[in-house]
Amino acid sequence: MAFISTGYNPAKPMENRITDIGPKDHNDFYPPVIKRNKGKWSHHEILEPGVLVHVADSGEEVYTVRVGGARLMSTGHINEICDIADKHCDGHVRFTTRNNIEFMVDSKEKVEPLKNDLAARKFDGGSFKFPIGGTGAGITNIVHTQGWLHCHTPATDASGTVKAAMDELFADFQDHRLPAQLRVSMACCLNMCGAVHCSDIAILGYHRKPPMLDHEYLDKVCEIPLAVSACPTAAIKPSKQLLANGTEVKSVAVKNERCMYCGNCYTMCPSMPLADTEGDGIVLMAGGKVSNRISDPKFSKVVVGFLPNEMPRWPSMTKAINQMVNAYSNGANKYERLGDWAERIGWEKFFEVCELEFTHHLIDDFRQQAYMSWRQSTQFKF
Amino acid sequence: MAKHETPLLDQLESGPWPSFVSDLKAQAERRAKNEEGIEFQIPSDTVDDLLGILELSFKHGRTHWKHGGIVGVFGYGGGVIGRYCDQPQAFPGVEHFHTMRVNQPAGKYYTTDYLRTLTKLWDFRGSGITNMHGATGDIILLGTTTPQIEEIFHTLTHDMGQDLGGSGSNLRTPADCLGQSRCEYSCYDTNAMVYFLTNEYQDELHRPAFPYKFKFKLDGCPNCCVASIARSDMSFIGTWRDDIRVDQDAVNKYVENDAAYPANAGAFRGSKDWGPFDLEKEVLGLCPTKCMKFENQKLSIDNANCTRCMHCINVMPRALKIGKETGCSILVGAKAPILDGAQMGSLLVPFVEVNPDNDYEAITEVIENVWDWWMEEGKNRERLGELIMRQGFQKLLEVTGIKAQPQHVQYPRTNPYIFWKEDEVEGGWERDVEEYRKHHQR
Amino acid sequence: MSDLLDNTEEATKAVVAFLEKKSKSKTKFYLKDFYKVFPDDKPRMIKKVVNKMVEREILEYWSSGSTTMYGLKGAGIQHSSEGEE
Repeated sequence: MAFISTGYNPAKPMENRITDIGPKDHNDFYPPVIKRNKGKWSHHEILEPGVLVHVADSGEEVYTVRVGGARLMSTGHINEICDIADKHCDGHVRFTTRNNIEFMVDSKEKVEPLKNDLAARKFDGGSFKFPIGGTGAGITNIVHTQGWLHCHTPATDASGTVKAAMDELFADFQDHRLPAQLRVSMACCLNMCGAVHCSDIAILGYHRKPPMLDHEYLDKVCEIPLAVSACPTAAIKPSKQLLANGTEVKSVAVKNERCMYCGNCYTMCPSMPLADTEGDGIVLMAGGKVSNRISDPKFSKVVVGFLPNEMPRWPSMTKAINQMVNAYSNGANKYERLGDWAERIGWEKFFEVCELEFTHHLIDDFRQQAYMSWRQSTQFKF
Repeated sequence: MAKHETPLLDQLESGPWPSFVSDLKAQAERRAKNEEGIEFQIPSDTVDDLLGILELSFKHGRTHWKHGGIVGVFGYGGGVIGRYCDQPQAFPGVEHFHTMRVNQPAGKYYTTDYLRTLTKLWDFRGSGITNMHGATGDIILLGTTTPQIEEIFHTLTHDMGQDLGGSGSNLRTPADCLGQSRCEYSCYDTNAMVYFLTNEYQDELHRPAFPYKFKFKLDGCPNCCVASIARSDMSFIGTWRDDIRVDQDAVNKYVENDAAYPANAGAFRGSKDWGPFDLEKEVLGLCPTKCMKFENQKLSIDNANCTRCMHCINVMPRALKIGKETGCSILVGAKAPILDGAQMGSLLVPFVEVNPDNDYEAITEVIENVWDWWMEEGKNRERLGELIMRQGFQKLLEVTGIKAQPQHVQYPRTNPYIFWKEDEVEGGWERDVEEYRKHHQR
Repeated sequence: MSDLLDNTEEATKAVVAFLEKKSKSKTKFYLKDFYKVFPDDKPRMIKKVVNKMVEREILEYWSSGSTTMYGLKGAGIQHSSEGEE
């Protein structure tokens, strides 16, 4: 494994340096049919789950086959996507915001061969490589974060919970039986790199224990003022600590009842680890959306306060999600998003029909806005 | 033969959804075989060790990663995230496992030539594992060592004409929906504008400039497919201010349940039968402002009372089109929960033209006014939304020179505690108490 | 721009002096901390000058992933990379 240099000289980093050039120009990446008709599309139609046609004013058509994918993807898998795009789509492909892959062709007769090719490809373990679906009144791909695969503050795994959930929801990825689209999102800690707080259903990793303190090493590996200032709730202060061997060391103390388990201190200071087998688990939220359609965008609400991490398939989590999807599917009107349905029937009924337990943890007590969520009315359902 | 036993992960290979475990295993095997004779610049068994350490997390229910302070390539304050594993003896292949963010193209369109060049580089100098794509929108290259970072950057910039994305207290990589490239709903060219803004603000994207992160996201219409309203400090949502265009013949095709005119563009073609399309119930009845009528086979819309929610257009895309006078609304301050709770974007500019011919002048003016205020007044690690909460929406209007209008609020304030400024009150606050006492005894 | 910020040598001296004075308690600083060194200047100008000092290898960045901080090159116990050099 000899080091091969590009010619970069670490002693003179600014020599021949190219910077600030930005992304590639998308105009060079458009398929020709897209380039020709950009801004001149007349309408579109979903022909079946996962297959769309967009019709231009010119009469030209572009057919899109949308497939799901794990957002965690190897170069081998990307190369296979390229093989398919070369074979069917003249070397063009795109990805969606929700980690789906879209293969586009410029005529109807190219659709079936493309679909057949995609549907036939499977991983050695038996799962589909390119399941067709993710459109319309169904469940599309789950957007998610890194989890145990690459993050230092997750309270659960991301790819694992998503795989477990999508296996359960798979029929709805390939169907349009729901009252409206249902967006599931996943973030592996409350920092929410994935911003899941406006999803129909959100899977959120959550810690429940303040950080541990490695007093003996803390001052040796961390700058204490950085750890102190990292805390958003000012729960950390510098403190002298007596070790078991009688030596006094500089360290920190944490006011545990102020800690909101964000892990910012662990980011700044590796002597303050947070992860815990029993403490960490899953929160489920529901009823949010970002679209302005019919009703305003809204936040998701916490509907399950805590579920333990159950590797590798998180059965309690998938069971609760299934209960919500089924109750929604049975009860909501056409076009009604999950949150609109819950508001129409009342959240008290939501818990009843979803067979979810309501606990005191689900009543907001965080800062002033909590008051807004309590019931200031005699109108409620028994 | 796999390097590590992974009995828990193996259970995620079954089931229909694409298995990341199967993909990782196949990749580990490809690297072990190395049929192309690649001179791997990081350990060839890095993916084996990635599987091994992930299995350990599945066993323990805890992460095994630590953060590292690496920020980027020389002179950049973002674009690379440092990662180290806390079991380097057992998993030396992922001892150093840093992430690079590569700025994705607008609309996430690719040619296979480009993708193959990138995968070739990443096999050679990294783990060959990616995210397509990360939450900000970037292509995420997952796992390489420090000495490779400059080399990768060199190849990206010199051979591929490709730059990194943002992280840290920088402008984060702006992201967009596919916009007019393939969507008839899009009110402006999101791809062109995101490309312009990304290039215009390269300095802010690569070098720290702000109290904290700052995100732009661009949605072509109020359907908000990239969720800009929930997750960007400044969100540009396409809209129009004239009338919805109506094709009456097409409306009647929908009413007649013509097969070529499926309701909601076919979004309900599935195993559930909702019965025939009912215009009255499904469109007029669900219109949030009830501004539509259908009489004598003619649909009429009271456009002055339409709030452009997109519902009727989504249901009948062949009959109804967005208006001609298009632009965007600007909303500001959205963020995920930490610290004060989640915030949704608040409407700052109801309508602004999107004009590439003058370099989006009307929009960059708003951006720069907001930035100047936030850079001056924002506390360390305070998001824009939190600053607006702390100093007030009025302050935001003042620094942007935007006049208050009823569109800015859901409803006016419910308390009368207006903190008047001295210059807003006739005669100011300095008064002569002696003059007062002439008429009022002590 | 103030004369101090405009003069590369003097501006650098002021920044280094500021960081060295504080180096006993901490070695990493937010951009905003430099506003005090240049009280008469706009943040946008300060940012440009301070970032140039990174290119000249006087300062270096440190990132938590979500925020980026500045320190004197090589200062402190948490360097930008761990045991790799």
